[in-house]
Amino acid sequence: MDLRHLATNSRRRDFLRQGLNGLGIGIGLPALLRSTSNALAADALDGGSGSNPERILVVVELTGGNDGLNTVVPYRNDEYYRVRPRIGIRKDDAIAISDEAGLHPSLVGFERLYKDGKLAVVEGCGYPDPSLSHFSSMSFWHTGVPNGGETLGWVGRFADAYSDAGIRNAVVNIGPSQSLAVRGNLHPPLVFAEPAQLRREGSETEKRSIASLDLNADSQNPTLAFLRSVARNAADSGALVRDAWSSYRTPVDYGIAGGLSSDLRKVAALISAGLPTQVYYVAYRGNSFDTHVHQADLHSRLLMYTADAIRGFMVDMGRIGRAADVAMMVFTEFGRRIEENASEGTDHGTAGPMFLVGDGVKGGFYGTTPSLTDTDAGNLKMTTDFRRVYATMISEWMGHTDTSSILKDEFEPLGAFS
Amino acid sequence: MQSSYGQSHRRAWGILASLAALSMCLPSHGAPKIENTVAWADDLSPVVEADWSYELAAHLLERAGFGGTPEEIQALADMPVTEAVNRIVDYESIDASALLDFEESGLWDPGMDPFPPSRAEAVRIARAEGRALGVEVLSLGSARRLQPVVDKFFYGLRANVLETRRVALWWADRMVATPRPLEEKMTLFWHGHFATSETKVRDYRKLLLQNKTLREHATGNFRDLLLAVMRDPAMLVYLDNGQNVKDHPNENFGRELLELFTMGVGNYTEHDIREASRAFTGWTNDVLEFRVDQDKHDDGMKEFLGKRGAFDGEDIVDIILAQPVTAEFVSSKIYRFFVREGPTTATKTRLANIFREAEYELKPLLRAIFLSRDFYSAPSVATQIKSPVQLLASTYRKLGLARAPTIPDFNAQTRRLGQILLYPPNVAGWSGGRTWITPATLLERGNAVREVLFPQDPESFGHPDRRLPGIYERVAQRLAKGMNITNATRSGDSGSSMLADADEEYNTRYGGYRGYVLAYERIKLVPRQAADFNLAAMVRDSGAETASEAVDHLMKRFLRTPLAAADRDELVNLLAKDVGSQSLAVNPTELEIALRSVLYVMLCSPEYQLG
Repeated sequence: MDLRHLATNSRRRDFLRQGLNGLGIGIGLPALLRSTSNALAADALDGGSGSNPERILVVVELTGGNDGLNTVVPYRNDEYYRVRPRIGIRKDDAIAISDEAGLHPSLVGFERLYKDGKLAVVEGCGYPDPSLSHFSSMSFWHTGVPNGGETLGWVGRFADAYSDAGIRNAVVNIGPSQSLAVRGNLHPPLVFAEPAQLRREGSETEKRSIASLDLNADSQNPTLAFLRSVARNAADSGALVRDAWSSYRTPVDYGIAGGLSSDLRKVAALISAGLPTQVYYVAYRGNSFDTHVHQADLHSRLLMYTADAIRGFMVDMGRIGRAADVAMMVFTEFGRRIEENASEGTDHGTAGPMFLVGDGVKGGFYGTTPSLTDTDAGNLKMTTDFRRVYATMISEWMGHTDTSSILKDEFEPLGAFS
Repeated sequence: MQSSYGQSHRRAWGILASLAALSMCLPSHGAPKIENTVAWADDLSPVVEADWSYELAAHLLERAGFGGTPEEIQALADMPVTEAVNRIVDYESIDASALLDFEESGLWDPGMDPFPPSRAEAVRIARAEGRALGVEVLSLGSARRLQPVVDKFFYGLRANVLETRRVALWWADRMVATPRPLEEKMTLFWHGHFATSETKVRDYRKLLLQNKTLREHATGNFRDLLLAVMRDPAMLVYLDNGQNVKDHPNENFGRELLELFTMGVGNYTEHDIREASRAFTGWTNDVLEFRVDQDKHDDGMKEFLGKRGAFDGEDIVDIILAQPVTAEFVSSKIYRFFVREGPTTATKTRLANIFREAEYELKPLLRAIFLSRDFYSAPSVATQIKSPVQLLASTYRKLGLARAPTIPDFNAQTRRLGQILLYPPNVAGWSGGRTWITPATLLERGNAVREVLFPQDPESFGHPDRRLPGIYERVAQRLAKGMNITNATRSGDSGSSMLADADEEYNTRYGGYRGYVLAYERIKLVPRQAADFNLAAMVRDSGAETASEAVDHLMKRFLRTPLAAADRDELVNLLAKDVGSQSLAVNPTELEIALRSVLYVMLCSPEYQLG
């Protein structure tokens, strides 16, 4: 299959249709599921269900707890400079984008997106009874159920509920291990760090024999049927991903190579190849944003990588004609304490800003700026429950108005998409 | 040592297995076909003697342990069913004294307690007190006067990671070597239930201690286990109970106790969490010892799940255990671990009743499960996806190995499949089931097994527990060339974000590098040895003479659900082609490699992921 021919919208639609009806992907599914999936897909493609099957959500995780106050800087607030005498971003350095808020000087990429009306800043995002542990807090953001003991991720539950059963690779997670966020029941996410990993070891004879195992055989054993469907996915997607990656070339500058920029390039390659993926998930490796000590240079670099890679990615989407179909959501597990610490860094905190990026985004500020004086024992009081942002992506962007079945409660969308 | 890694019968099974070998040629008694056991689903009445068979015994050993060889399975099948289940459950009577204790490297010295939570804190202590972590800062005017403290801090981090990996290898070896498989299987269950990770605990001693506690109470009384875990230093640290003090209760501990350990979400209020947390204030640890700090304990009145009193932690546990939902929550989770997802309401209630009537003794519950028709029903058999640890440990046991090989590395293999012992992903443990499987992990499951069947030789495998990461390797090379520390640790063009000489009192990157080197000097080297087994002998001993008999033997040995006929035929053809004949006798020198190749293909099948 020549993947370059699948790059446009209409081609991708064909790919979806073929995937369900023509390419034989649905063959191994039980008859009922098959007919349901066809009906759903037809519905979706005709706009009948109100969903937006062409649309893609790219989630970017700033792992380690990004310092929100030095990202979106309250440059007119004296209290900010009082509590951050050494690491505060100077008024003259901040890139003013409103009367109250300025971007960190490294966020030139975000500045341009903002001026083009493609960047929304959602302030004070958090959740009740915040945990200051990376680990607990991240799992709350991943599951979308703070303090709830949920074992599946919100993206996984989203795909379970809304991605058609016949779509392979509804969720792609670039990374060495699977994020809790993408863990679901029905759609095993395609997880890989490097496209080259999606390969089978062994001699050619062995590989031929393995490939000849009948993965379409019916089984009374539902777990075996599930495994065979994933095995088909692996057999097909492995080559797809490796081909997509090797045939992808872009002149667009994503900033310094490595980390987020190379992961977003992999996403671009797959989108460019016309994969029917609805959610892509990328994350910084390790606790990159955990800036306890001498944070200025490190944080500056991290923000530059982030903004350059995200802007580069959106430019690349424009180049391949998909900018209107892609939106990005950027989050971190917590912000940092308001007051700088003794080592010119910041300790774990609570609320922080989220960012939404895309042509469909109504640029601007959402939510309320958290107070620096009315605090929760020195931590920001959250002003926007992050699940409202998830609800925004699910309903306003992806077109599924029932968000409560995913998020286990009602959360009002922000009105951030036109 | 060589022979101990080789193929042999595990101690307690040995005699039984040799008896069994005689009876293996005989047809097994009136065994029900698994397909005919659909109606057994949700029937908790026990299977009868006439139903007991090789297939059922294989299922029992697969689930209650880590599988076994045909000889071990046959030995169980030859016993009366109650005796077979008792042999699994009442394992204390089986001598396990040959299992090795963990051999500590001795990385800790007294100055390292309490270990500071961060480098920044270590540095703060060093500045204030002139020493930290058992080392002195250098005299004023010295270059990088805090460097010894920073080195020691990184040494502590690194050495604990390495030693924790050794603990995990030691445990994995037990899973393979033990004559009491249920003991290790339940310990693994509790490790997922009371999930605690090195990433936060950062002290292998606490993790080892917890592992021993979980094993000691593995099939004992749940109340004893729960109280032991609530007093366990690793758990107290993991759930921040050191910060749970009068006037400033930290609710992490109380919340997880209710939500994850006993009752499940939705059966209590936030108020109950706060009150429970108050009762646990002051529960803390002096390094490895549990201690109640009475000054920090809130001995006031509490209101918890409808009861009032000046409760302490033990009272809270007893009130929780008196809730019917607790018995149901815990017994259903045990059921899901051993049997399958989604027990019916009736099954849940019956299991909970058994558990409560036994006053939270675990054995009556386990015995009831392992004897039940439901456990052997079609929806239960070969419908569970093996965890990565189960996949690897059971591969070794099915190969008849007496010890877990160290080539490939157990932790590295399970890691690529999504599980690392002593590193559960979060406090909820591993989600398990279908979440183990992604397209990449399914491919990797085959690739991991290939490294067992076609192991690297020790020379090329080397010692992965002695490798420096690239960034420190470069530091080492530059130092070896005679560069000074500042230049040796300067960032390259890689855009690395690590700070090096940011603070003149110490160099962070050099400290990180020294931490590795010091840890390597102290931590015992894991001896590396590949599995030594002989498939050709196994196949011949089974009486197989042709390619199809050989494939059938391998299927019987490794799969709990057979391959489809066409897939089996493909493997027979592959084997016949590789040895040049249907007869195994024609080309004996090629037989071993050909069998390994065929087995590799078989173990890449979706069927092999099922246990």
